[in-house]
Amino acid sequence: MNTAWILLSLLIFPGGLFLLGSGLVYEWVDRKLVARFQNRIGPRWFQPLADVVKLLAKEEIIPQEVHRGLFLLLPVLALAGALTAALYVPLIGFKPSFSFPGDLIVTLYLLSMMSLCMGLAGANTVDRFSLVGATRTLTQLFSYEAPFLLALLGPAIVTGSWQISQINAQAGNSLWFIITQPIGFVVALVGLMGKLELPPFDAPEAETEIVSGALTEYSGRGLALFRIGKDVELVIGLTLVAAFYLGGLANPIEFLLKTMGLLVVMAGLQSLFARLRIDQTVGLWWRVGALLALAQLLVLILLRG
Amino acid sequence: MEKQDSNGKFIVPIGPQHPALKEPGHFEFAVEGEIVTGAAVRLGYVHRGIEKGAEARNWTQNIYLLERVCGICSHIHATAYTLGVEKLANVVAPPRAQAIRTLVAELERIHSHLLWLGVAAHEGGFDTLFMFSWRDRETVMDLLEMITGNRVHYSTNILGGVKIDLDDEKITAIRKGLDFLEERTHHYLKVINTDETFLGRTRDVGTMSRQQAEELGAVGPTARASGVPRDLRVEAPYAGYHEFPVRLITATEGDLHARFVVRMNECLDCYRVIREILDRLPGGELATRVPRRIPEGETISRVEAPRGELVYFIKSTGGDKPDRIKVRTPSLCNWGTVTSVAVGHKLADMPMLLAGIDPCFSCNDRMVRVNRPDQSQTWSWENLRQYGIEYYR
Repeated sequence: MNTAWILLSLLIFPGGLFLLGSGLVYEWVDRKLVARFQNRIGPRWFQPLADVVKLLAKEEIIPQEVHRGLFLLLPVLALAGALTAALYVPLIGFKPSFSFPGDLIVTLYLLSMMSLCMGLAGANTVDRFSLVGATRTLTQLFSYEAPFLLALLGPAIVTGSWQISQINAQAGNSLWFIITQPIGFVVALVGLMGKLELPPFDAPEAETEIVSGALTEYSGRGLALFRIGKDVELVIGLTLVAAFYLGGLANPIEFLLKTMGLLVVMAGLQSLFARLRIDQTVGLWWRVGALLALAQLLVLILLRG
Repeated sequence: MEKQDSNGKFIVPIGPQHPALKEPGHFEFAVEGEIVTGAAVRLGYVHRGIEKGAEARNWTQNIYLLERVCGICSHIHATAYTLGVEKLANVVAPPRAQAIRTLVAELERIHSHLLWLGVAAHEGGFDTLFMFSWRDRETVMDLLEMITGNRVHYSTNILGGVKIDLDDEKITAIRKGLDFLEERTHHYLKVINTDETFLGRTRDVGTMSRQQAEELGAVGPTARASGVPRDLRVEAPYAGYHEFPVRLITATEGDLHARFVVRMNECLDCYRVIREILDRLPGGELATRVPRRIPEGETISRVEAPRGELVYFIKSTGGDKPDRIKVRTPSLCNWGTVTSVAVGHKLADMPMLLAGIDPCFSCNDRMVRVNRPDQSQTWSWENLRQYGIEYYR
């Protein structure tokens, strides 16, 4: 692989610019769907882009008593983590740009960078809303992370590989894992919602309690980067779940249909429930989510052995 | 922004500017982690000097001023005032006027309760219910606009009667609207009673026992949800409630869930009462004459607003202007219930707990000044204004 190709895949397609664009599109689809489910009209197609442009053009206010370097670095780090993770997943149904045995674990860690950065960003300021939000963000990280990982390990164990591209290829050749491992699919999808802090798991940024949670003090560029980062994570998360549980992603059309299908389900779930309190979220994940995922994993291991 | 206050407690401020509050009020919750250990309330951000303003206007002008005490339950303020003035003037409005007053009051109650349902659901992060209930609330808003010409400040009352009439066309439209709303209200009751995530946020949250409710002086649906049988429409019927009695709706649990159930059941009873009024609408005049100068005297006028008991004290010295009008709104009575049951709950429950009493900030913000015998003085409008400017400086 020559240098030009690497740069191209990093900066333009399928990573980089293209990914940012698709992130905004997916955010719009999500917002529009939720709006329609709630009997609202919803935003126009360019609204997410307009939001980002507006935020980038605005002044970035650095509050007093924060660590300046950390304050500026964290949004960049969060976005970089998400963009790097994109290189290992089969975006648009193409082969991942980079691949090595065990990249599943690396990807999941890179995806967790976002929550970690947001938690740190909240803890960095002295704003009370941010501090409470940061606590909740990190609490939520500890609650969904393990079940989400366990849910994605199911297909990995069945295919006997920890390489995303191989699992993707294998998933395409066998019966869809959503049928053989339904529990894992549900846990993975709901885990993704927890990761992205979508309703009903939006306690970390519950606007009626703590304004905007950990990101309350962010404005302008920092906020824009965090938002793009979340959009990118939405795309990557959907790609991962679709590749693992919905029979793999072999071409762009499959990618579009499967990820959009997942997004419709997710938007439905978002509009169905009232917000869970953070203690209810933790309870749900550890009492139900983790146990179900573990039970399924045990069954898989026993059946294989 | 300092991190801690002088007592070393971690205080989360909600308001005066906060996404949870659509009106300014200030609440300080001392928290340990997520658990609330103390709560304090500070009001007065929307003090508008309406009571003082009322003394400068004549009896008729005051109807329009007092309707603007509240942006949600405007009609009930005008009703309380006109009933009081009519009592002072020894005039009784004709039966048809009383029935129409009652009808508009009940429609207003429906609109207020549906609005509250949406707000409370939004505070709990259930935006779908918020959007749906507000969409359906438009039905009753449209009805009110059709009857009175306005969506919020209906200006239905005049001294001695009402100034709007109902015809067959309007009655048919109201019936049609009520049928739709009744069906939707049954649906919302089902959602409230069965949705697991919603029950998780409302059941056993903010529980207030009957004894507590009585000690704290709770009024309205907040008190009724704790089992206090307190509803002026039943206890001391006014306007058309002699003719068209309402049912007293209570619950015993006293938690947030009970408040939802009580309010929705009240809506259902409103539909029944309105239909009864439409069935047996008395004929006759819409208004009687009321003198321009009201005879000397003072009176208390009590009505049941959507949020609870509303009290007006009206004093006349025989002129064409009132000498004193004192308004006591129901929101003010219910604040004590929030601060006393908040302790021990999660921070996440606070917005719903605040919304649970259906607070109306601009209603309850008026100045209280305790006169001691040694420093008694009369304040002029200019003094008050200056005091207000200095106070917030």
